Amino acid sequence: MAYLALACGLLLPWLLGFALLSALDWPRPSTLPAVPSAGSTALRLGTGYFVGALLLTMWMRALSVTGIPFGRLSIGAPLFAVAAALLFWAARGQRVPLATLSDLPRFLIRPPLRGWQRFAWTVLLAWLALRFALLAAEVAWRPLYPWDAWVQWATKARVWYELGRIVPFVHAEDWLAGATGAYFDASPNYPATVPLLQVWSCIALGSWDDSAMNWPWLLMAVALALAIYGALRDTGLSLLAALVGAYLVVSLPLLDAHVALAGYADLMMACVYTLAALAFYRWTLRRDPFDIILALLLALCCPLIKVPGVFWAVTLLPGVLIALLPRRGPYAVGLAFGAGALVLLYLSQSAPMILGYRLHLDFEPPWHALAEAYFLLNNWHLLWYAVVALAVIGARRLVRPPLAPLAAVVGAGLVFLFVVFTFTNVAAWVADFTTVNRATLHLAPLLVVLCVLLWRELSRAQPSALETPALVSVDA
Amino acid sequence: MARSKRPVLYGRSHSLQPQRSLGFPVPVLPASPERAPATASPMAFRVALAVLALALFACVVGYLALSVPRAWFGGAPQMRWTARELSLARGTGGLKGDSLALTAPDATRTVVVSFATTLRAQDYPEIAWNVSGIPDGVEAALLWYNDYQPSRVFSRPLTVEAGRIAPANVAREAHWIGRIGGLALVLRGDFNEPIIVRWAAARPMTAMQVLGDRAHEWLAFEPWNGTSINTLTGGADAQDLPLPVLLAAVVALAALAYTGLARWQPAALAPARGAVIAAFFVAAWFVLDARWQLNLARQVERTQHQYAGKSWRERHLAAEDGPLFAFIEKVRAKLPAQPVRVFMVADANYFRDRGAYHLYPYNVFFTPWNDAIAPSSDVHSGDYLVVYLRRGVEYNAAAQSLRWDDYPPVKAELVLVDGGGSLFRIL
Repeated sequence: MAYLALACGLLLPWLLGFALLSALDWPRPSTLPAVPSAGSTALRLGTGYFVGALLLTMWMRALSVTGIPFGRLSIGAPLFAVAAALLFWAARGQRVPLATLSDLPRFLIRPPLRGWQRFAWTVLLAWLALRFALLAAEVAWRPLYPWDAWVQWATKARVWYELGRIVPFVHAEDWLAGATGAYFDASPNYPATVPLLQVWSCIALGSWDDSAMNWPWLLMAVALALAIYGALRDTGLSLLAALVGAYLVVSLPLLDAHVALAGYADLMMACVYTLAALAFYRWTLRRDPFDIILALLLALCCPLIKVPGVFWAVTLLPGVLIALLPRRGPYAVGLAFGAGALVLLYLSQSAPMILGYRLHLDFEPPWHALAEAYFLLNNWHLLWYAVVALAVIGARRLVRPPLAPLAAVVGAGLVFLFVVFTFTNVAAWVADFTTVNRATLHLAPLLVVLCVLLWRELSRAQPSALETPALVSVDA
Repeated sequence: MARSKRPVLYGRSHSLQPQRSLGFPVPVLPASPERAPATASPMAFRVALAVLALALFACVVGYLALSVPRAWFGGAPQMRWTARELSLARGTGGLKGDSLALTAPDATRTVVVSFATTLRAQDYPEIAWNVSGIPDGVEAALLWYNDYQPSRVFSRPLTVEAGRIAPANVAREAHWIGRIGGLALVLRGDFNEPIIVRWAAARPMTAMQVLGDRAHEWLAFEPWNGTSINTLTGGADAQDLPLPVLLAAVVALAALAYTGLARWQPAALAPARGAVIAAFFVAAWFVLDARWQLNLARQVERTQHQYAGKSWRERHLAAEDGPLFAFIEKVRAKLPAQPVRVFMVADANYFRDRGAYHLYPYNVFFTPWNDAIAPSSDVHSGDYLVVYLRRGVEYNAAAQSLRWDDYPPVKAELVLVDGGGSLFRIL
């Protein structure tokens, strides 16, 4: 019974997010006949989980502010009611893809593909199912394992679960000074979203269980796969190519490790950032205001997941600039990057004092460790080889529509990583691999998507089996 | 049906305004299928397979040409010495199962493990030691003597990677000649945890052996450890040729070769070029992913053995920190029901931080990154202090006086003593 309650609790944010997006009819199909609308259900399902999870944690914050203790009733009942109402409203407006959902099992088993494409589809789906099953076994059995998970994330979850509300965590000096009702852990300033998700899992289960509280990480991986598949279908890729794209993302070993050894915020950070960027990219293609609103909201949620989320959110700005000013934007972004490089160069050669702060940046690029992490070790399979090859071959495509805005976002993300790794004290953590891959994980899914889209652009001149639309138009 | 050759340009949906007014014209593929999929011709498929096979063959042969020191085929059989055949010439240690556990160096901070042999140097260009648990700061070297100068001992430094000794290629050593009379491993430096020696081997390093070694490294099980959340090796800790490098080289070579052939036979091969190169890439990715999936499956088997069928509490007792969890359970039984302030101290970061985690929702204080205890002036009456495997904490039971590091003592009551842990209540 407890596990049934847990299952319902885990599905609640998914239902809520899907219902909200259905009510808003996002992603909206284009009225233009030439614009693809396939994959919208998968995109809605995938994105819906994260929208719902974020809404759930915001509701828990609101409950805590108003002094209402956490519980199945206080959290679950209102959100379920809202989800049901939204679904009902959406269904009345025929915005719930009931036919597609009911047709899903048949579609998965007998996709509208022929010959080797159907074989490849089936093998990939089975492979992904096996992957998720293995990850599920790890999540189910393993107690909270990785270091930061129990030194700075689940610490908060445990306290908030037991007390039934959010209580503040403070720095050591404040705690030692006797801050009333305040707690301490290794990172008291870290955001509450991830611990709140864990709290909700335990509330749904009815007891503290630091294995069961990590099921959301598996759902994040599944939802990300759905969203990537949907987004790629949405841009016109064939069924098989979109599935390959989703497979490339969720087969990244480090991403899988973050599911199996759940408890860090990096996976959710990567997912929400990727979906924000994809919603933004959709907006550049369609100019549907719902897309940019969703992108903006997801981007604003990034700092609620991890502190560096604010920087990741900012990396969307160059893309926005290029999308709004297609002729001057690229030059402006280029100038901004150039000016930033000059400032970094100046700060690495000097130590100006401004408002009492000594602004000096040490340029200590850990090239060897970076190369090892990206190319030699098996953190990313062949991702970085593909990035280098495609960047060389497709450089011109990256600065032209339709990829330029998305490429600018990824470029800004890479610049952010480069600056962090080479100009800050994080460089020391790159050398021992404590940070380099986790920080890269935030960008990796988007990088895979950009690579797939760039490959599509490069091979568009000579259509091939993989990029050709399916025989039958299916909105899945 | 044929796809429109001219891409559709649009910017805003829900309107059919000309693209000029939209700022950002974008070509988009048609949504509905307008033609049957262009599958690769049988010829292109066969050529692609052949090109991929040839690229793989060329990369493997190229690697072997660089790494096989002597004859590719034939050669002497591999020689191997188990832990029972090894003798500990200096330092302290003993047999533990099939391994030789080195527990401490001698007064000169040195351990020497040796064995006698009569191998022909020319037949064995590589010496491998299966040793694990070598901490940072410990240096390793290989010693030997030959029958030309039996009174002289030669040495060569060994590379330590991730606590293990990398195989040593001795083919180019000037004194690796004649018959080798004895071999020894020297470790210099301090260590607290035992270093485990399992075997030593002399290898002829034929092509098959090199390939076998690489396959062994790629398929070596990589269990979860403290760093898995940050980085994954992809097989053995130390690898002479990481699998991603080989596969990337194969894909690059195959892609270049196919592109060249497509220029030569554009009608038959060029249309499928994009799909073929993508297929090369996805196939290589899938090979890496199969290795990863296999590793994951082996890990799940281990995890199942360790945790399956257990309750939340039993899983923690079966975990790596089971004894600590059991101790903290006893501590919690002694603490009052209402959340009180608890200081958690231990020498090791792991025990200190993990102990604190098990203590929540008590209001715990610990120093996450360094072994320090808060000054005694910061500890108040009614607080508790949990000490687990921590040196430098002294308790005078008669005077009920508790003292740590260089801080003034405080009045305290000993509430619990259990193994290496204690619980004190500050009076």
